[in-house]
Amino acid sequence: MSAPQPQHRIELAVHEGEGDLMLVNFGPQHPSTHGVFRIKLLLDGEIVVKAVPYPGFLHRGVEKLAERLTFTQLGPIVDKNDYIAPMTNEQAIFMAFEKLLGIEVPRRARWMRTLFAELQRVASHLLWLGTFALDLGGALGGGATVFLYCFRERELVLDLFEEVTGARFHYNTHTMGGNRHDLPAGYAQKVHATLDVIAARLVEYEHLTSTNRIFDVRTRGVGTISSELALGLGLTGPVLRASGVDHDLRRDAPYGAYDEVPVNVMTETSGDCLARALVRIREMTESIRLARALIDGMPEGPICGAKAIKTPTQFKAASGQVYVGIETPRGELGTYVIAGGNERGAAPYRLKIRPPSYHAMSVLPYVLPGHMVSDVVAILGSLDPIMGEVDR
Amino acid sequence: MHWLLWSVVIITVLMTTTAWALWLERKLAARMGSRLGPTMVGRHGLLQPIADLLKLLQKEDILPEAADGALFNLAPILTAVFAIATVAVVPFGEGVIAADLDIGVLWVLAFGGLMVIPVWMAGWASNNKFALLGGMRAVAQAVSYEVPLVLASMVPVILAGSMSMTDIVHYQQQHSWIALWPTLPGLPAFLLFLLASLAESNRIPFDIPEAESELVAGVSTEYTGMKFGLFYMAEYIHTLVSSAIGAALFLGGWSGPFAPGLHWMLLKTLGLFVFIYVVRWTLLRFRQDQLMRLAWVWLVPMGLVLVFMAAVVVVWGGA
Amino acid sequence: MAVDETARNYTHPLYDTLLAAPGLNVLAGSVDQLLTWGLKNSLWIFPMATSCCGIEFMAASASRVDLDRMGTIPRATPRQADVMVVAGTITVKMAPRVKKLWDQMPEPKWCVAMGSCAISGDFYRDLYPTVPGIDTVIPVDVYIPGCPPNPEAVMAGMLRLQEKIALVRQGLFPPHGSSKEDRPETAKMANPAVRRLLDPARDAAITAHQVTLAGTPSPDTVDSPPLPVDASTAGSADRDLEALLRDRFGVTEFPKDAPPLVDAAFHVELARTLRDRGFRQYVTCVASHWPGDPETFEVATVLRSTGSGSQLAAWRVRVAAGEPVDSLCGVFAGADWQEREQFDLVGLRFAGHPDLRRVMMPEDYVGHPLRRDFASDAPCAPWR
Ligand code: SF4
Repeated sequence: MSAPQPQHRIELAVHEGEGDLMLVNFGPQHPSTHGVFRIKLLLDGEIVVKAVPYPGFLHRGVEKLAERLTFTQLGPIVDKNDYIAPMTNEQAIFMAFEKLLGIEVPRRARWMRTLFAELQRVASHLLWLGTFALDLGGALGGGATVFLYCFRERELVLDLFEEVTGARFHYNTHTMGGNRHDLPAGYAQKVHATLDVIAARLVEYEHLTSTNRIFDVRTRGVGTISSELALGLGLTGPVLRASGVDHDLRRDAPYGAYDEVPVNVMTETSGDCLARALVRIREMTESIRLARALIDGMPEGPICGAKAIKTPTQFKAASGQVYVGIETPRGELGTYVIAGGNERGAAPYRLKIRPPSYHAMSVLPYVLPGHMVSDVVAILGSLDPIMGEVDR
Repeated sequence: MHWLLWSVVIITVLMTTTAWALWLERKLAARMGSRLGPTMVGRHGLLQPIADLLKLLQKEDILPEAADGALFNLAPILTAVFAIATVAVVPFGEGVIAADLDIGVLWVLAFGGLMVIPVWMAGWASNNKFALLGGMRAVAQAVSYEVPLVLASMVPVILAGSMSMTDIVHYQQQHSWIALWPTLPGLPAFLLFLLASLAESNRIPFDIPEAESELVAGVSTEYTGMKFGLFYMAEYIHTLVSSAIGAALFLGGWSGPFAPGLHWMLLKTLGLFVFIYVVRWTLLRFRQDQLMRLAWVWLVPMGLVLVFMAAVVVVWGGA
Repeated sequence: MAVDETARNYTHPLYDTLLAAPGLNVLAGSVDQLLTWGLKNSLWIFPMATSCCGIEFMAASASRVDLDRMGTIPRATPRQADVMVVAGTITVKMAPRVKKLWDQMPEPKWCVAMGSCAISGDFYRDLYPTVPGIDTVIPVDVYIPGCPPNPEAVMAGMLRLQEKIALVRQGLFPPHGSSKEDRPETAKMANPAVRRLLDPARDAAITAHQVTLAGTPSPDTVDSPPLPVDASTAGSADRDLEALLRDRFGVTEFPKDAPPLVDAAFHVELARTLRDRGFRQYVTCVASHWPGDPETFEVATVLRSTGSGSQLAAWRVRVAAGEPVDSLCGVFAGADWQEREQFDLVGLRFAGHPDLRRVMMPEDYVGHPLRRDFASDAPCAPWR
């Protein structure tokens, strides 16, 4: 089976030659582009003939900024990339730096990071469900109700983070060799209590997606991505797993505490919007299970490497190139660091962040043609793009 | 002259009711989403609609450069006029009716059908692609759902043997609410009427013409200030009137177990109105093609069968 | 209450009519108060939510804080909004659009800058793609500090805006100076960069650019091998990358701390070989600029095998400045956007790429910011 070809560019000639086609600019400011993103759609009535995405409206130059900041200073900066799950950004970047510098992370810190990552996944998928419902149901309708429910639950998770770090998001809690903030007393009970509430409501959400007729007809068979296309495009995370590829870095290349707490990987085979929704909803249940196991088995010990790293001079020795990828709620968030090439050894020579959403968005020209305008928002929403991460 | 008096009273009451219907909907939506809704402007936010109105009156009136000025300005006015015109034949109580026309049902359906013209005008004149798409969807949808709406309304007309709304209510006073008896064409016809009028007044799950997650704000995308206010108002009047007509045609109008009168009609209208909005804030929306399929494959044949059944009831049922 | 004509913001003609009507001028104060009351209690919001702050703005509209309590409705179209809440970083690519949307809002209108990015540009302030504060583009009424501000802070900010509206209407507070008369035309904006982006000549330049690109050949069909997708294929993935590189691609050096350097001529062939051996997921490519003598560029490519025991395969190629690297678009569809990004930011050309356009920066941007000789504290020219 040959993969569908992307349409690279909408030429004006096509528009004029076939007088019935209409060129619609979707974005950059549009209620369902999940931030600022632009797609040029060439429509035949309501059917998309060609789609050309234009990212870059939120390109903030993080990679350039990294050239003049020290490794430790970068933590709070990368928070802002994937702003739905900020802590996983910190985790990704510090794992790369620690690998580069050969710093050992204590066991408790690894468990804490993993716990936070799982809680972030719950919060992130909740937000996704809310915004996806908004896309399907509109801000002035049933979608808004689902959105509000999801936000209500997400606030509970954010409260847990606020308790540890003092911030609702953009936590700045990871640091070189461990964590900054220890868990407060009685945290385990709070986590369990919160997760109890969310788990009970998740049953409703699962019900919503599996038995709601309208949800079903709006998502089944819409935006199907084949497994070959998904792999070739570098799609990762729930989008890849919904296309039938059984791949999850938490299980396949374990990091943090995942080698001690095994993960069940959720997959679906159909590759459409419904499959992506189901994968995410099941992942929430799985993450809740993992978070419970992690908080129960939380080891004692220091939360930061014995030698706290304070001065930039300690990095002078750093040189080399490493790539580390971790599984964030959206897929493989990679960090490629090149160190040691510059006069000031304290800063990375070149930092490259490999965002899962960027690859997810590159699938649009392949899947959108042939769908209706209403499906465009459904497909866009089901990819769960975060523009801060797409554009960095 | 009583009709003139009643028209003035009805229009005034309708406008005020619309304002607070808006408030009611906002409160309802908020409560359904575990929020509070307006609370700060007046007690329980009761003055919110007044503030909105005053604000809309003060906004700058923008005519987009590329828009077709005449059509652009005419559209909201026509929408409001058509919406209000339908109220004329709604019987709120014995004699409480602006114009007791012989062809009451036809009048309502005709003006309901006309509503699509200003919508299309607005979509076309705005010279905005989202508005155009919204207008196209609105026309397709209105044309499709007009048919089941007419068929559903035919059931009480056939049963009562009259097109006058008052006569239909009288018929129900003598027999029973059409939604209750004869159950077989009655209840399904009522449900069909509800569905079709949801679609007619562009309410979720049929609100694709203004699907704001896809089309920004549909036909009203380019409208500012009070012109948008007129669209907004017409939408609510339309929903209110649809509820009132549903109540009159199927739920016995002003008749009721104890002390029949105006209050029963208002109560039933309110009940239907709230129902429509609970549906709106619960469901997701359909896609264009699914909507059409629903109308032509399911609702239209169903309507035909119901009309036939009503005829059977009249001829052999001995009602 | 006296109304200062000169300081008053834009008002609807109706307002003046009401004030001028005989007998009504006695009530002018009350009418004015009533209209002001309406204006400040019905603030419909156009959320210009670009990034993280937008999420907190959404949280502010959600159950816990509920902005709707004070009567705000988020509107998707600027035409029906009263307040633009700029929540998030504004980039040079976005700024003209923000300005345009602001111009599309009807008077009277207000702007709230939410978060450090909208206020001052935050730590992106002196970087090439960001605007240091939205008030360089449109007038701002209320600033809500924070990164991001809590939902409670957003609510507080909106209440401050209500106070300000009342004060402005009483002439006790200077309006933000965007009355209809002195509102600059978008095309005449004082901001050179914005003007540059709105230049019609720019469109012509872009079209010309696209025409030249249209001549570039399209990639071969993405010939993915029809491998069955299951965990067992990962076992067959080549683990002995080193042996492969040594035997077939003539690599002799294997540095401990970096991927091996492969001859640029083998770039595509190596990628294809690895793909056929199970590394079927395209992960990333990183171009880096090495000034000096001779000036070179390096491209590191990372592939991954899927399923349990997932492995990485990475290699580098090095080319002299000015020379292209072969594009991997024919092997992996995912190389498309990654290579475009590297072309945009580093300025390395990829031979055989079907669509080598800028992706992050505006199409007419000059320069490649991720080169080492591009200063890391060089803000976009007009905002320096
Ligand atoms: S101020 Fe902070 S939270 Fe807000 S957009 Fe900027 S970086 Fe994000």
